[in-house]
Amino acid sequence: MSLNLPATGVFVALFLFVTWVGFIAARWRKADLNVLHEWGLGGRRFGTVVTWFLLGGDLYTAYTFIAVPALVFGAGAVGFFAVPYTIMIYPILYLVFPRLWAIARERGHVTAADFVRERFDSRLLALAVALTGIVATMPYIALQLVGMEVVIGALGFPAGGFIGHLPLIIAFVILAAFTYTSGLRAPALIAVVKDMLIFVTIFAALVIIPAKLGGYGAIFANVPQAKLTLAPPSGESLGNYSAYFTLALGSALALFLYPHSMTGILSASSGKVIRRNAAALSAYSFVLGLIALLGYMAIAAGVDKSPAHAAGFAQYGANFAVPALFLDMFPSWFVGVAFAAIAIGALVPAAIMSIACANLFTRNLYKEFLRPDCTDAEEARMAKIVSLVVKVGAVVFIVAIPHSYAIHLQLLGGIWIIQLLPPILLGLFTRAFNAHALLLGWAAGTAMGTYMAATRGFVSSIYPLEIFGLTIPGYAALYSVLVNFLVAVALTPVLDRLVRRGGTA
Amino acid sequence: MAHARGAVRTQKYAIAIPARFQYGPARSGRGAAVARKNKRLGIARYWPRFFLVIPFLLVAWVPFYNRLEPELGGVPFFYWYQLGAIIVGAGVALTVYWLERRITRTTGRTAEELDSSGTPGDIL
Repeated sequence: MSLNLPATGVFVALFLFVTWVGFIAARWRKADLNVLHEWGLGGRRFGTVVTWFLLGGDLYTAYTFIAVPALVFGAGAVGFFAVPYTIMIYPILYLVFPRLWAIARERGHVTAADFVRERFDSRLLALAVALTGIVATMPYIALQLVGMEVVIGALGFPAGGFIGHLPLIIAFVILAAFTYTSGLRAPALIAVVKDMLIFVTIFAALVIIPAKLGGYGAIFANVPQAKLTLAPPSGESLGNYSAYFTLALGSALALFLYPHSMTGILSASSGKVIRRNAAALSAYSFVLGLIALLGYMAIAAGVDKSPAHAAGFAQYGANFAVPALFLDMFPSWFVGVAFAAIAIGALVPAAIMSIACANLFTRNLYKEFLRPDCTDAEEARMAKIVSLVVKVGAVVFIVAIPHSYAIHLQLLGGIWIIQLLPPILLGLFTRAFNAHALLLGWAAGTAMGTYMAATRGFVSSIYPLEIFGLTIPGYAALYSVLVNFLVAVALTPVLDRLVRRGGTA
Repeated sequence: MAHARGAVRTQKYAIAIPARFQYGPARSGRGAAVARKNKRLGIARYWPRFFLVIPFLLVAWVPFYNRLEPELGGVPFFYWYQLGAIIVGAGVALTVYWLERRITRTTGRTAEELDSSGTPGDIL
C-alpha cells in the first residue's frame, strides 16, 4: 500500500481543524476551568442540541463504526444485535437518568460513585463503583485507538514499528493537550464536527454504493443466505435466539453505567434535555443500523477478494472491510472525509472517557482517601493530570500489547460495568438494599461473570446456561448481574441485623 | 423554577453539607404541597411511562422477525423490521415526553419536580 495523497491531505486538514476547535472550546461558554464541574462536566450547561451531539459522539464510537459492520461482514445477522440494543437504551435513559441528573445537580455529584457514596454512606461501595468504572473504561479507550489505527493504515501509512505508530501517537498528544486545556467543552464542540462528517459520509455511502452495486436487492442477493438470518436453534437449546436478545438487553443495561455515558448525561442542563434526547438520539441508532449494512455491501462488492486489500485484511482482519469498501467506492478526496469522520469519531469518546476516569479518580479515590481537604483548584488540577495519565496508558496499551487483549478486556469490561446496576440504577429508586449486601453482590457478580467469560476463553461473552436439560445461551453480563442482584436481595435482611445501617434519610 | 423544595442550594458543589441536613422532603412551602400531592397520586402519575415497554416488546421475540420475507425494496424483513422499530421507539419516547409535559402543565408541576419528587426518596 502506498500513501493515498489526496485522501491523506483532506484527512490531515480536517484533523487540524478539529484540533483548533478543541483549543478554542476553552473559551466557549467561558467559565473558571479550575473548578472540577466546569472542566469535567462543562458546567452542566449543555442544552438539547449540544447534548444530542455530545452523547451521539460519546456512545456511537469509532470502534462501533468499524466493529459493527465488521461483525456483519464476518458473521452476518448476529452483528445486527446492535440495533435492538440501541432501541432498548432509550427507554432506560428516559426512565432513570433524569432522576440521577436531578440528584447529582442538587447534591453536586460529579460521578456515579459520588451518588453511591452519599446514598448508601459507604466509602467501600463507592470505591468499588469507582474502580469498576475506571477498569472497564481503560480498554474501551484503547479500542478507540484500534478504530483510528485501521483508518490510518488504510490511508497507506506504513504499519508496524515506531513509524507505524507515530500518527496515532501524534493524534493522542493533540487529544491530550486540548482535553487538558478545555475539558469536556472540547469533545462537545468537536462532536458537532464529527457527527456532521459521519452523517455526510453515511448519506453518500447509501446513495453511491447501492447505485454502483445495482441496488439493495442485488446487495442482499450477493450475501450467502445462511448469513442473512440467525440459524434457528435445534435440539434442547434456545441457540441464537436467546443469545441475540440477551446480548442486546445486557448491552443496553450496561451502556449508561459506563462513566463516559454518565459524564455526558450529567453535563446536560436539565432533566428535560435528557428526556428529549431519549427520542432524538434514535437518529444515531438508525445511522448505526445503516452502517451495519455496510458489512453486506462490503461482501457484495467482494472487497476481501481484491488483491489491493489483501495486505489490509491480513493486518486488520474483518475490521478492514469498511475502509476497503470506502477506498473502492469513493473518490480519493472523499475517502479522506470518511476516514477523518472515523478518526475524529475516536477522539470524542476517548476524550470523554479519559475525563470520566479522571473525575472518578479525583473525586472518589484522591479526595476520598488521600486528600480529603484538598481545594477546588487542586481537585481540578489533579483531574487534568489524571486525564493525561489515562491517555498515555491507553497508547502504551495499544502500542505494546496485542490488540486481542484490548478486545478481550473490553468484553470483560462490559461484564464488570453491568455489576453497578443494583447500586446505581436500583439505588436511585429504592433504599431497601444494605450497602454491604450490595458490595457482596457486586463481588459475586464480578467473579461469576469473569468465570463465565473464562470458560469461553475470553473470546465470547455468550455463556451456555443449562437449566433442566435446556440450554439457554445468553450474555454472561446479564446472567452475572442476576447473581449479583439475588445475592444483594438475599443478604440485605441478614446484614441489616448484623450491621447498623448508615446512609441518608 | 428549578427548585421549589426550599432545599439549601450551594453555589459551589464542593461545599460539604452535613449528611443529616441533606435529604428528606421539604417540610413547608410550595415544595411540601407538591410532595403531598405526589404522594397521593403515587406511581399512577407516571402512567405515560408504561408505554416505554413497547420498544422492548418490539424486539423481545426474536423468532418473529428472524425471517427474510416479506422484503421491502429488496431488503429482507429481519433488517427493515428492526430499522423500523428504531423509528417506532423514537416515536414512543416522544409521545411519552409530550404526554408528561401536558400533565406537568395542567397540574402546574415542573419537569424537575417530576424527577426528583422530594429528592432521593423511595418511589418503589
